[in-house]
Amino acid sequence: MSKDVAEGNVLELTGITKRFPGVLALDTVDMVFRKGEVHALVGENGAGKSTLMKILSGVYQADSGTILFSGGSVVFRNPSQAQDAGIAIIFQEFSLIRTFTVAENVFLNREPSGLAGFKDMRTARKETGNLLREIGFDLDPDARIEDLTVVQQQVVEIVKALSITATVLIMDEPSAALTDKELKNLFGIIRVLKARGVTIIYISHMLQEIFEIADRATVMKDGETIGTKNICETTKEELIRMMVGREIKDFFPASVRTRKEELLSVSGLRKGRKLDGVDFSLHAGEILGIAGMAGSGQTDLAKALFGVEAADSGEIKVLGKTLNIKSVRQAIGAGIGYISEDRKNYGILGPMAVRVNITVADLGRFLRGGVLSGKKEREEANKKIGELGIKVAGMNQRADTLSGGNQQKMLIARWLLKKPRIFIIVEPTRGIDVGAKTEIYRIMRALVESGSGILMVSSDLPEVIGISDRILVMRSGRIEGIIDQSGGLTTEERIMSLAVGHDYSFSEGIPS
Amino acid sequence: MTKIPTLKEMVYAAGKPERLVWIILSILIVVSLVASPLFSGLDNLRNVFLIQPVGLGLAALGQTFIVLAGGIDLSVGSVISLLTSLAAGIFQKYPLMHPLLMVAIMLGLGAAIGAVNGIIVARLRVTPFMATLAMMLIYQGLALFYAKRTIGGIPRSFRFIAEGSVLGVPMSIVLFGFIIALCHIVLVRHRFGAKVLAVGSDPNVSALSGIDVGRTRFLSYLFGGMLFSCAAIFLAARMGGGGPKVGVGYDLDSITAIVIGGVSLSGGTGNVLGAFGGVLIISVFYNLMNLLSLNSFLQILLKGLILIVAVAFTSCKKQG
Ligand SMILES: Nc1ncnc2c1ncn2[C@@H]1O[C@H](COP(=O)(O)OP(=O)(O)OP(=O)(O)O)[C@@H](O)[C@H]1O
Ligand SMILES: [Mg+2]
Repeated sequence: MSKDVAEGNVLELTGITKRFPGVLALDTVDMVFRKGEVHALVGENGAGKSTLMKILSGVYQADSGTILFSGGSVVFRNPSQAQDAGIAIIFQEFSLIRTFTVAENVFLNREPSGLAGFKDMRTARKETGNLLREIGFDLDPDARIEDLTVVQQQVVEIVKALSITATVLIMDEPSAALTDKELKNLFGIIRVLKARGVTIIYISHMLQEIFEIADRATVMKDGETIGTKNICETTKEELIRMMVGREIKDFFPASVRTRKEELLSVSGLRKGRKLDGVDFSLHAGEILGIAGMAGSGQTDLAKALFGVEAADSGEIKVLGKTLNIKSVRQAIGAGIGYISEDRKNYGILGPMAVRVNITVADLGRFLRGGVLSGKKEREEANKKIGELGIKVAGMNQRADTLSGGNQQKMLIARWLLKKPRIFIIVEPTRGIDVGAKTEIYRIMRALVESGSGILMVSSDLPEVIGISDRILVMRSGRIEGIIDQSGGLTTEERIMSLAVGHDYSFSEGIPS
Repeated sequence: MTKIPTLKEMVYAAGKPERLVWIILSILIVVSLVASPLFSGLDNLRNVFLIQPVGLGLAALGQTFIVLAGGIDLSVGSVISLLTSLAAGIFQKYPLMHPLLMVAIMLGLGAAIGAVNGIIVARLRVTPFMATLAMMLIYQGLALFYAKRTIGGIPRSFRFIAEGSVLGVPMSIVLFGFIIALCHIVLVRHRFGAKVLAVGSDPNVSALSGIDVGRTRFLSYLFGGMLFSCAAIFLAARMGGGGPKVGVGYDLDSITAIVIGGVSLSGGTGNVLGAFGGVLIISVFYNLMNLLSLNSFLQILLKGLILIVAVAFTSCKKQG
């Protein structure tokens, strides 16, 4: 007699253990998922969430433990088997073929096919189009992935998962690359699926999201299950305590408000229809937050300043000197550092050691008579790993085997090491766990106190308010207002009113 | 304010990058027409466009699938040498063998050789470059062991494949056209083609989508090996014999041709028709060199130049 899941459950995990060289990623994990529930999975970076999901979806196999899935015990040898059984997943990492079209990606390895394995791309295109329309995204099925924005790519990942008829749908940090608009859409989809009896496993570091959408939440820490809570019976504080094992106080470090000399001054910056005459200045000692509705020009401003997509016209002065920034090299030469929001694709040297990934942008510092001084390099790398709490088996671990959040911390470490005078950072804490967030805020603070200036683009309003000395609010490529917080913190309503151009408190809720 | 266009902008001005190979070909043809009156002779045109491209074309098609899947095959030349030698040798022993049986034997051997390369790359995980470099030596050694020098004795019935014609159209062109069309369709319309392109573009993402990366690589070598045997069949039929030197140069030429034709050596981008365009460019180029009776060192040097220009163009297209 084979065992089956208990009535009302769809998936029961018992004693799941997974060991990677140097780490015990999962240590006898038990977890139960009910039919038709939205089950959130939370925990610090490196807690083992993605590893567990990859075992469920056939990417990895557990070293031991059993998975009961409606009907009996299962072992998935590869992702196709899991798909066929009805488990679909949106991976945390980038999982689209960049040279393929949207439709080709959605149906990759599952192309509708007729005679002798010939693809029926017409059907694939039509179905992709239908799915996109059904869930309310406007995207051309024939567009190539490499021509899409990060947000659009994430939409494709969602559509890809939805195209599979699944009883369990796993979403590993789907919101990390979405704006409020798509997120709202996604939550709509989740509710529809839930009503149809689909179980959704939802991973995110944004607790607001979890309290909005989930029925239950399971907390993981260091590869173990800490516990499962009904959302309506718990609080953010309790979940955080379970996650990090301590209370988090002083989430945002206090600003000492020492505005010093002007580092950067920008006037009349224009770029196509995206930037429509932007003027502002950044001083040493301050964190300047940039807020606004998605697509109001915040990231375009960041890209223009770093020379990724140079501005058409306007003046950029760095330390009083006019600079015509046309390339990234020029920007770096002028002492500008930059972390983009597109961390899935850029910046990580996958097969190289974590140590190299951290020190690569500043190797010059470790030269002794033209030769790399390994000792100093290792020391610095180790220090940063400790400061940011990057979870590694050792500093020589391959970068692409780090957990998603730890890869981000690694990128941040790279630039912190370089200590740029002007630091542009987009979404500094997307995908980063709560404990590490405070650490990153503390480091940002320390950096400006030592004489740098930070320009931070973020869609997380509490973060913008909590850490910025001044806030630039953008709307349709222009600066709509500058809020100085030296007299006290502003409100989300005030920012939103500027961002949408009318009194916000009378419209719908506040997305964050 | 006038701006000097960058190389990238010039490429785009010339049209879609996919068209580049045809533009280069047209320019080369015009240059040839001007440079040598002999070029436009009917026999010469026949040679340049109908006969020469077939052998290289078949080898390049095989190379295309292997490279698109993220591999490379340096052993093409010695595979062709070995197979033509075997064909001639077997025919000498059994002169009455039915030509179709020989075709089947050749295809089987090609598949077997491709399978061996594929296993070494996909299962033993030797890098494609080293694996096929080693196999190049092994196949060359076998070819020399089997046939000390060129052997004749390919019967007329088999030579029909290259020399015959149906309804006035050369048989070789009929077959070659059919194979090109087949390869094109397999690449763009068949699931196997999609897997080849996906694996070549991004093996990690492909694996996450459930594609068996190793198996796809293996199959690309198998398929490639069969196309190499088609090249061997055609060359044996055309020359009426085979030998350990027959395939010399086909490895580098096939790679050069497909790179000029827009197939990226890092895998995943390129198509069959572009690769064929690249083959025509090589064919016209060799012909022109011969007509102008340029020194062979100059020929080699110019080929290197063309290769660099082509790769520079494709890589600047990529950055766009
Ligand atoms: N392929 C691998 N090889 C070696 N170690 C790995 C591999 N994959 C994951 N790990 C390790 O396993 C641990 C758990 O990683 P996992 O990706 O599951 O974390 P996570 O909870 O998803 O974190 P995040 O919130 O950052 O995404 C980490 O320490 C990570 O370095
Ligand atoms: Mg993860």
